[in-house]
Amino acid sequence: MPELIKVRPTKIELVKLKRRLSLAQRVQKIVKDRLSILTMEFLQTARDTVEAKRKLLDELSKLYKALSIAVGYHGYIALEKELIATEADSEVTAGLRNIAGVRIPSFELMSNGKPMREYNMVDTSSWLDHSAQLSEECLKAIVELAELQRSFELLAMEINRTKRITNALEYIVIPRLQVTINYLNMKFEERDREEKARLKRVKVLVARG
Amino acid sequence: MSKPSQDETRQSPYEKMLQECLSGELRVVNAGLPRSQKRLSNLLNEKYPHVICKDGSTHLFKKSELEYLASIIDADEQERLPLPMLIELGANQAEAAIICEGNVEEKVISKALNMSVTCEQRRIRVYKPQLALLRRKFKTTTVYVFSPKIVA
Repeated sequence: MPELIKVRPTKIELVKLKRRLSLAQRVQKIVKDRLSILTMEFLQTARDTVEAKRKLLDELSKLYKALSIAVGYHGYIALEKELIATEADSEVTAGLRNIAGVRIPSFELMSNGKPMREYNMVDTSSWLDHSAQLSEECLKAIVELAELQRSFELLAMEINRTKRITNALEYIVIPRLQVTINYLNMKFEERDREEKARLKRVKVLVARG
Repeated sequence: MSKPSQDETRQSPYEKMLQECLSGELRVVNAGLPRSQKRLSNLLNEKYPHVICKDGSTHLFKKSELEYLASIIDADEQERLPLPMLIELGANQAEAAIICEGNVEEKVISKALNMSVTCEQRRIRVYKPQLALLRRKFKTTTVYVFSPKIVA
């Protein structure tokens, strides 16, 4: 049973309580709408995260296989010598986007058109090209997963916070207001009944003279 | 007749808190709205395609999404498509509406959802499952608008 709010039993207090109740219901409505949107986005992000993780693991396993074949073909030292001077810069654009009040990071791997392969194409085999191509795919998948994972965490935190507000409104604020309004209404009805009984009694006394 | 006391006419701290909570929520949820929309053709030419939001932050578009949009509409329509597209959430929780200026949005949404949609009173109505699908395809090119009608 929700607690009663301590107020003076007056009509003005009743009006004030009714106003408070309508305001609380409006807040609850918007918070609930926000919660439903956040939940929808959260579920979508969770699904995407699982998919992205699976994709990344697949890509990594393919990459390791291709790389071990390339290492076997060229020899570790020769391959290291070939790759040591081939560091390519990759650019990631980072920004923010807003989902129902939650700021979500947005990452995108920028491709400048040329592949990240700056080793000597003459001295190396197609196995290395294949590994390089797979590593590019891996990099893309890592960036995508980073964005999704962070979004997932942020959305979960916001859902928790919003849920607390919704629960507070639904189970504490609004029921207390409703109970107090009911109590005041009953009190006023009781007062009316007492008043009527008193008037009847006075009428009888006056009639007896 | 006695005048009502100042306490009676003034808002109580409790009501003030609720009012602040309401306006705060509306402000927070609509903080990501763009100050102005940009055309797709303009965004495609920008190095870092973005718009400025109401709260002063920047909303970055993904180039891959813009390229996808450019691939499904022609050059003339690219000049007429304002981005980000606004998804309005109204009083009815089961559906949302995409605010559209012309028929370009209609074409984009139809192609993205793979079904025909119609624009009525500058709104394209979509249901929640379709909305999820749309948001999956257009993560950065769509933005939610919480209409004041929700709390009316």
